[in-house]
Amino acid sequence: MNLRPLTVWFVAFGLLMTGGFGMGQTAQYAQVQSSAAQVVLTRWALQHIMARHWPDSPATGAGKFQAGITEATLRDMINEAVHNGRARQNTHGRPGTIYEYDFQRQIGTTIDGGPATRLRVVVNSRNEVVTAFPF
Amino acid sequence: MHLDYRLNEDRETDWASVTEEDLRYRVALGNLIFRVGDKDFSATWEWIPLVDLAASFDDILRKLESGSRSETFEFTESDAWIRFEKKDGKVSVSTSYGEGVGEIPWSELAEATKSFRERLHSEIVRQHPHAAHNAAVRKLLGSAAARG
Repeated sequence: MNLRPLTVWFVAFGLLMTGGFGMGQTAQYAQVQSSAAQVVLTRWALQHIMARHWPDSPATGAGKFQAGITEATLRDMINEAVHNGRARQNTHGRPGTIYEYDFQRQIGTTIDGGPATRLRVVVNSRNEVVTAFPF
Repeated sequence: MHLDYRLNEDRETDWASVTEEDLRYRVALGNLIFRVGDKDFSATWEWIPLVDLAASFDDILRKLESGSRSETFEFTESDAWIRFEKKDGKVSVSTSYGEGVGEIPWSELAEATKSFRERLHSEIVRQHPHAAHNAAVRKLLGSAAARG
């Protein structure tokens, strides 16, 4: 049974709930708080990350998060990477900033299937997460 | 050398309103076909944003032409990369995911990159006529004059 569409629906619903109804534009966003920066994980970005990097994603050639990852733990990891990680400008005309952080523990698998301890987060100029993946 | 692509079927994108970020990360996905001599650096992961790749390769060539000796293309959804190193009118190509180093004349790489961008532009516009009027498409895939 393919559970991914159901999972996406539950996570999107969770984002709506955590965003808070009646709060206008924040209803469809989950904010990742950080003292260094505040980045926003939209439900579209979450779906993008889940499609390519969730443990059950069939995408090849992409790092995968470890089994048991949740929207909340992803948000925490993005927060930690943006707060503590190394920042650099995105490459070759791509807008935004790349944050990379080594958690010093396995957070997923690399494209070769080996253990991944680092997280790369791409954030656009509006401080929205574009993608995030282990490597 | 052979530089080509396979564009995934896409019936969902509204090409009139796609943004540069869409083109850089989410739209016009497919495979890279890239062979240099007997080295195969193709990446058949299905999720490669091909407009981004065409624009990035173009940027890399401009930088190499302007004096940079080495430029690296980073894939959007992994730490995989393709490195281009220019020396004596030739370019060495290596990747994080393929074995060996391929070498090509600068002029051949420049022509292949231009052709890649133009063919991709033509195919996207043929399949999605609204893309012809999209500013982000023009910026990333148009001629050098159109891109400013």
